Amino acid sequence: MSPMSATECLLQMCDERFELEDYQSGVPRWCTGCGDNAILAAVQRLCRDEGLRPEKTVFVSGIGCSSRFPHYMRTYGFHGIHGRALPIAEGVKMARPDLTVFVNTGDGDCCSIGAAHWIHAIRYNMNLTVFLHDNQIYGLTKKQASPTSPVGTRTNTTPRGSYLEALNPLTVTLGVQNVSFVAQAVDWAPELLYDIVKAAYHHKGLSFVRIVQRCPEWMPKLLDPWLHDPGRVQLLHHRNGLLPGAGSVKVYTNQLEHDPSDINRAREIASNTQVVPVGILYRNPEVPCYEDLIGSDKLRTADVTRAGLNAELDKHTVWPRESHA
Amino acid sequence: MDAASQAHVAFFLTGSRPTDHLEAVEGLGLRPAVLSGYRELAGLRYDFPLVLVANRPDGPLVQSLSGLMDEALAATTGDVHGERVRQHGLRIEREIRARVSNGATGLLSALWDEAASRLESGAEPSFGDSLRRVRTAITVDGEVADCDAALPARLLRHAWSAVQAKKAAAFRRHLDRLVLKLSDILRADFERSKAGRDASHLKASVGTGFGDAFDFDAMSHVLATTARTDAFPEARRQRIRHLLAVLTAQRFFASPDAYTFIFNSCGDALEAFRGRLPALVDLARAIAVAELEIDGQYSELRHDALFEQFGANGLDPQDLAAFPGYLVCVNAGQLPAAEHARLMEILSSGLPIKILLQIDDILEESPDGQGALTAGMRNRQIASMTIGLSDVYVLQSSSSNLYRFREHLLGGLTYRGPALFSVFSGASGAASGLPPYLVAAAAMESRAFPAFAYDPAAGTNWAARFCLEANPQRDLDWPIQGFAYEDEQHQRVSEELAFTVVDFVASDRRYARHLARVPRAQWNGNLVPVDESLSRERKGLPDTVPSLLMVDDHNTLHKVIVDERLIREARRCREMWHSLQELGGIHNSHAEALLARERRAWEEHAQPEAEAHAPPAPTAAAAGAVVMGTPAPQEPDRSPGEAYIETVRCSTCNECTTINGKMFAYNNNKQAYIADVTAGTYAQLVEAAESCQVAVIHPGTPRNPQEPGLDELLKRAAPFL
Ligand SMILES: Cc1ncc(C[n+]2csc(CCOP(=O)(O)OP(=O)(O)O)c2C)c(N)n1
Ligand code: SF4
Ligand code: SF4
Ligand SMILES: [Mg+2]
Repeated sequence: MSPMSATECLLQMCDERFELEDYQSGVPRWCTGCGDNAILAAVQRLCRDEGLRPEKTVFVSGIGCSSRFPHYMRTYGFHGIHGRALPIAEGVKMARPDLTVFVNTGDGDCCSIGAAHWIHAIRYNMNLTVFLHDNQIYGLTKKQASPTSPVGTRTNTTPRGSYLEALNPLTVTLGVQNVSFVAQAVDWAPELLYDIVKAAYHHKGLSFVRIVQRCPEWMPKLLDPWLHDPGRVQLLHHRNGLLPGAGSVKVYTNQLEHDPSDINRAREIASNTQVVPVGILYRNPEVPCYEDLIGSDKLRTADVTRAGLNAELDKHTVWPRESHA
Repeated sequence: MDAASQAHVAFFLTGSRPTDHLEAVEGLGLRPAVLSGYRELAGLRYDFPLVLVANRPDGPLVQSLSGLMDEALAATTGDVHGERVRQHGLRIEREIRARVSNGATGLLSALWDEAASRLESGAEPSFGDSLRRVRTAITVDGEVADCDAALPARLLRHAWSAVQAKKAAAFRRHLDRLVLKLSDILRADFERSKAGRDASHLKASVGTGFGDAFDFDAMSHVLATTARTDAFPEARRQRIRHLLAVLTAQRFFASPDAYTFIFNSCGDALEAFRGRLPALVDLARAIAVAELEIDGQYSELRHDALFEQFGANGLDPQDLAAFPGYLVCVNAGQLPAAEHARLMEILSSGLPIKILLQIDDILEESPDGQGALTAGMRNRQIASMTIGLSDVYVLQSSSSNLYRFREHLLGGLTYRGPALFSVFSGASGAASGLPPYLVAAAAMESRAFPAFAYDPAAGTNWAARFCLEANPQRDLDWPIQGFAYEDEQHQRVSEELAFTVVDFVASDRRYARHLARVPRAQWNGNLVPVDESLSRERKGLPDTVPSLLMVDDHNTLHKVIVDERLIREARRCREMWHSLQELGGIHNSHAEALLARERRAWEEHAQPEAEAHAPPAPTAAAAGAVVMGTPAPQEPDRSPGEAYIETVRCSTCNECTTINGKMFAYNNNKQAYIADVTAGTYAQLVEAAESCQVAVIHPGTPRNPQEPGLDELLKRAAPFL
């Protein structure tokens, strides 16, 4: 990295500073105890620590409890339609590559109705930071089984317990061509959550973070075994990956050194259902971003825009039929 | 000691040649024996001539003719005609090389055509076909340059122009973007103004086709009464106009009356740089302000004062990096004292000025003519001295090596500070009939002019910055070369000869009187090679005399002895080479001393101990130890029984803050702590501890012994203490 010039330093000194409260908007309507609160706190911390300018930052979401996230951020936001957070975010990024774009999506939103968009967004690898708030249930609509609900989960749609094995969002993502960043966090380990959110933000390309999120309202006991036994959290660390803070190292003693450039090992770790691996599973900064592949640095002057529009419209113009002489 | 040997020793000590026993070398046209194979350079395939590629902005800047031909031949000789095409291809290469060494200049394409038309007349019919095949495989073109006095400046100008062209294109794109965006801002401002909403302007913007379809007066009225009219302050408008004026009037890049940046004098370059500095500062400021303006970030309150001061101290290298560098080409032989001072001023100023210091003669004798190479030494040492300034990119190379050093040339040109390219051209004409290429190559080979590059941007220490790689056999004092000849009995004799600085000096006519030819009959064991002689310390009367093998124009072998003055110079040259070696990490005396010390320590202590104890097996825990990112936060001191929260583990779930927002509060990371333990009851502390999903609330012991139901509460609190 080249050092900053004196001008850049001075300008940075003049930059506005933001506090956590500057990013807070309204009072979250999530239930007390909901894991979404922890995610909100970590993300607001990131925004403050990275000095993200609110008017240059966008949160895009679909529908669900988790998708209310943009309402609570005093930045730009787009509370989209169910399952469509990713295509909307891609459109925003394509038109305004200068903006920092985050996506908040639920397990229903992303892995059920939005699954097609999910797969293709991974493959397009646009520079977005995606948080999958995975509470393993449809929360907003009051407890229906989601693709990530464990087999046997009793819900309004599966009163005798769900029949299918849960889908694993990590292995699915790791199976898609062009995947460039996959990590997992749990809402109840705030220090790690913050570290992972930060690493995801710094990755250029689509960073996909699955956050195991508690829904005390509909799934109050679901995650207790994990919560009460820190040994079931498997802390992934590596000098090229996450260097967890001393506090985390002390609590989470089940540790595994994992080089995030090794995708096969990442898939193996992601498949283990006995423990929750927490950390960076895979990172490959070399995968090109779609916007860089097709973007052009040609200046869009008024003339260029006009010529482009005319060319497009001419394709659909019905010309008067040529007279037959 | 016989009379002949006495004469040899006397010559060695005094430099004065007794007429019997020894002969003068003047007029013999001698050259060092190892150079005997390089009579006709044009017949050899080597790096020269070069093609200064002009039609490949993203490809290599310069290619050797032989390299180009090899690529073309590899691409064309795959079929049955392969061998024929190869032979014909090499024939035209030889012809072009010969023409260039006879002074022909021009584009490769033109030289090719000339060479082809000469060779084609009278050649076999397939010749034309071969040439066409090879020619189509060569897609690059550019001036052809031989290794002569003009080469260093030609090559450097060529590389400089290519670097500038890239910079200029990027700069132009940047500038065009700024101008467009600033104009957009002004246009948006206008569209919202009264004039912009005027019916006639609205009509004009709709165009002719639908001119009658709208009621523009009504439209204007609607806009005037409903849309916002927050035009921006006049100050901003003026600021943007001023920015546009500065950006469009700049003369640094791709402008019709652009400045020149290539100079033949350090003084002129400095003067130009200083004269243009105010304009440069204006432009740099305009760019910085424009970026902020476009981003909607410019705040008069925060930025006005800052930009008023902008550039008062000049610009720092990072700020300057986007602007053109300057190139100065000077010849060390014609450098007046004032220029010398300017040169040093530039090098120590940190300014982005690149200097080519061309040296044609490194053997200039000192005025007292005693074989002391002092004057030449001064120019030779400028590069080494400049390294001491530590932020100058320094490259020293013979011109024969410049092609191999092309990446380093580019490195110096793209480096953000000053650069010095000290190049020995070999073109003084003082050597006995050797072409500049050979003189230059011999200077490098003999350590008289070693090649090195010092790149301050490459790292923070010598190992990263300094590179000595280009020199042959750099671990040795002198490179060793195999040499074979035929003796009187027509038997082949091979020897290994060290090529020393004395060999280099011996081919220079001006030093002939330091040499004396020994007639064949007097060759004896006391005549030892120079390198051997150098490695002996002389205590008393010398019993050996240093000698060289040289050849004349007919490749007849001669033995020549050398006087002590030259040997003294050679010793100095070797010392200087040793210093460079040390800087380059070869035989580094500090490292060697350290190594010796460690080895001694090991032998005395560690080794016996290591042998006594078998090494312990590494423990599993040590193998997988986690390297930690952030250290653990300091645990605050707490009195026993005090209630507390493990704040760093709080997951912001709102449970406790909902129970009592005064007792529990969030810190600036939105994690809970006990803000005021007196603001609530022990019951609330216990309830919060129970509700906390991550169990990080520790209620401590009750403060108020009167609180009702304490027995029950204490039981509930027990798991959280
Ligand atoms: C097209 C469409 N189909 C169905 C719904 C109903 N709906 C709203 S939220 C939701 C599921 C949300 O689950 P999830 O994405 O996991 O979010 P959570 O509430 O769990 O955070 C559904 C099915 C909808 N809003 N739109
Ligand atoms: S229903 Fe579940 S996911 Fe939704 S806000 Fe409540 S706790 Fe959170
Ligand atoms: S209850 Fe626990 S996790 Fe929730 S806010 Fe309070 S301390 Fe934090
Ligand atoms: Mg859900």
